[in-house]
Amino acid sequence: MSENLHDRALQLVAKGRVEGLAQSESDWLNAHLQDCEFCNEHARQTDRALRSLRTAVIPLPADLASRTQFRVRLRAMELREREPKRRMLWLACAASWIFGIASAPYVWRVFAWIGQLTGMPKLVLEIGFGLWWTIPALFAVIVLLLESARQSEEPEWMKPSR
Amino acid sequence: MRDEAKSIARGLQKRDPDLLDRLIEQYQYRLFRYLLYITGDRARAEDFFQETWIRVLERGHQYDGKSKFEAWLFAIARHLVIDWQRTKKAQSLDALMDPEQERPLQIANESEPSPLRQVLAQESETNVQASLGKISAIYREVLVLRFQEELQIEEMAGVLSIPISTVKSRLYRGLEALRGALQEGVA
Repeated sequence: MSENLHDRALQLVAKGRVEGLAQSESDWLNAHLQDCEFCNEHARQTDRALRSLRTAVIPLPADLASRTQFRVRLRAMELREREPKRRMLWLACAASWIFGIASAPYVWRVFAWIGQLTGMPKLVLEIGFGLWWTIPALFAVIVLLLESARQSEEPEWMKPSR
Repeated sequence: MRDEAKSIARGLQKRDPDLLDRLIEQYQYRLFRYLLYITGDRARAEDFFQETWIRVLERGHQYDGKSKFEAWLFAIARHLVIDWQRTKKAQSLDALMDPEQERPLQIANESEPSPLRQVLAQESETNVQASLGKISAIYREVLVLRFQEELQIEEMAGVLSIPISTVKSRLYRGLEALRGALQEGVA
């Protein structure tokens, strides 16, 4: 029997387990395995190996599920506590932006008046007016940074990520 | 199956604690086994097990119920292991587990049996199971997902974030490695 036929048979043995075979391939392989003890033994070894993989028993650590459930519940409680605070923060930011848009013409007048008083160049006034809009965002960033700093002081087992 | 996945997705959106308890119970064996196979270390697998469920709680809203829950769960677990490896050694899990690289992940000291091999050897009177520990983790992982978890090749590609062709080639090599390791153990 030629080497190519054995190669093909071994490839089909693996393909049958990984992807499945077309009917014609399956018929050809079965016929070959009946005549070829070497390839037949290879197929048996492959099946034995897969059987051992499927039946491998791994002992679970004691109380793994209950310890995990306890940690998950603690973390859930912590998240629930933080949720209203965060919602309030975003509400405050949104309200601040809306108020900012509504009051923009008046704020600009104040900036223009300060400019008249101090003789500041118009470019500086415009930059200052632009920065005025970033105050709510800066405030939100500071709160979030403080929150993450507080989180990093928590004990190791309470942290959400390693 | 689709209905169950959708109901899990709805529960995760609400961070339903009873659902999470049930999922932890239901998937504890499969997740721990997968983590043990990819990390090769029992204590580390335990840490990642807990961390994975914390992530499920935190990122539960990202699961849409369109794919199998276990595929999403394994993807989270795998990413945690990869992130941890990256921060530790600035290398990807694949690189660490690649048999062509210098030091596979699970073998700290090649003269001693790996922790996984020890665990499996303790559990089995035959050397059949112990030979599983000799296979590179990158191949063990695909074998576990395909033949123990019975994921489809497309689902595996999603979990591993690699092309289908790579999944297949790893499976073929893994199968050959498993057969070889088994033969070696018997000889």
